[in-house]
Amino acid sequence: MNSFSALAEFLNLPELLDRVEGDEDLLRELLALFQEDLPASREALQAAIAGGDLGEIERAAHRLKGMLANLSAGGAASFAAEIESAARVGNAPKIPGLVQLFDPQIIALSAALDSFMASA
Amino acid sequence: MRILIADDDPLSLRLLERTLERVGYEVTAVKNGRRAAEEMCQPEGPRLALLDWVMPELDGPAVCRQIRKDRGGHHVHIILITSKDSKQDIVCGLESGADDYLVKPFDPEELKARLRTGQRILQLEDNLVEAREQMHYKATHDPLTSLLNRGMIVDLLVRELIRARREKTCTVVILGDVDHFKAVNDTYGHPVGDEVLRELSRRLLGSVRSYDFVGRYGGEEFLVVLNNCNPANAMSRAEQIRQAVGQTPVTTAKGPLPITMSLGVLASLGGEPKLVDEILSDVDHALYEAKGAGRNCCRQAGAPVLTR
Repeated sequence: MNSFSALAEFLNLPELLDRVEGDEDLLRELLALFQEDLPASREALQAAIAGGDLGEIERAAHRLKGMLANLSAGGAASFAAEIESAARVGNAPKIPGLVQLFDPQIIALSAALDSFMASA
Repeated sequence: MRILIADDDPLSLRLLERTLERVGYEVTAVKNGRRAAEEMCQPEGPRLALLDWVMPELDGPAVCRQIRKDRGGHHVHIILITSKDSKQDIVCGLESGADDYLVKPFDPEELKARLRTGQRILQLEDNLVEAREQMHYKATHDPLTSLLNRGMIVDLLVRELIRARREKTCTVVILGDVDHFKAVNDTYGHPVGDEVLRELSRRLLGSVRSYDFVGRYGGEEFLVVLNNCNPANAMSRAEQIRQAVGQTPVTTAKGPLPITMSLGVLASLGGEPKLVDEILSDVDHALYEAKGAGRNCCRQAGAPVLTR
């Protein structure tokens, strides 16, 4: 996991490398796809929250959760899952607090990915 | 083996695509449910599908229902991929027509094992279809000559007569009988007789058009049905067949044997045709006349049959 070790703080690398069956090129490609998709996915979540649309919040959080889970980004994925489930059960007051915990994780992960890719 | 994967999450889609390509699947990857349904519902579409549950336009269960509706004739193995894992969700997915489900993020070994299960079921279906086709072939063809058997050639004649009546066309029916065939069997043995029948079958098939029918009607009797034929040409077509059969000796294990055939000919015009039994009886009578006239010749049954 050598070159990826800088990401160990955010991603469960052994699990992730198992998932890509040791294919590091594929892993780099997936990280790039995530970075590419992230701004739009976050915007969709923010817009849904601003509009107070619980259905949209659930969908946007579900999508983020799926991507984060595929990258074995456990911490961020579990916050996304909590946002999704709060939206599903209609617990709107809980959502802003969860987003406050989720956002810094995502920002830190994205920054780590930026510097990882710049160094690669 | 072709497989369709559908997921709106680009990471998941690429991960699936690469995992499957690595083990030799030919992957079609699409990003929404509508495209998945379009690909899967083509008659020759993939027979394996991995569908994400939550997708824009059509979700996984809706795609399942569409596939089951449009491709009901054959098995298509569908696995839903979902992060939903409550019992209720799983039951709902299976009720929509999915065969299996996988919780994401998936384990690559589990994914491959579940796809192998799907392939075993598809293979089983292929074997059954092949066995059914073989049985159908055996039920409709003569094992010695591979021509249509009596039941099938008569069925096709009936169908052709109905069509000819509808379209007001003429069907020419020819019944051929190998001359002195008993002598071939008695002199050279039945294996040589069989060789003669096989070679004559090839010559008969070679002397008609691809859309005409040739069947083995009895031991050494052959029934030929010429579709959509000009009645004025009935005798000349029969004559061509007679010559194709008898022109060159048949090569056998006991040397070349001169073989000829007598033929009864009947042209059935559209309009209200005779019953098939009457047609077969009349053409048999014409064949009998050809035998009486010295064999190796053609005789036509009366004037072309119009109506009754």
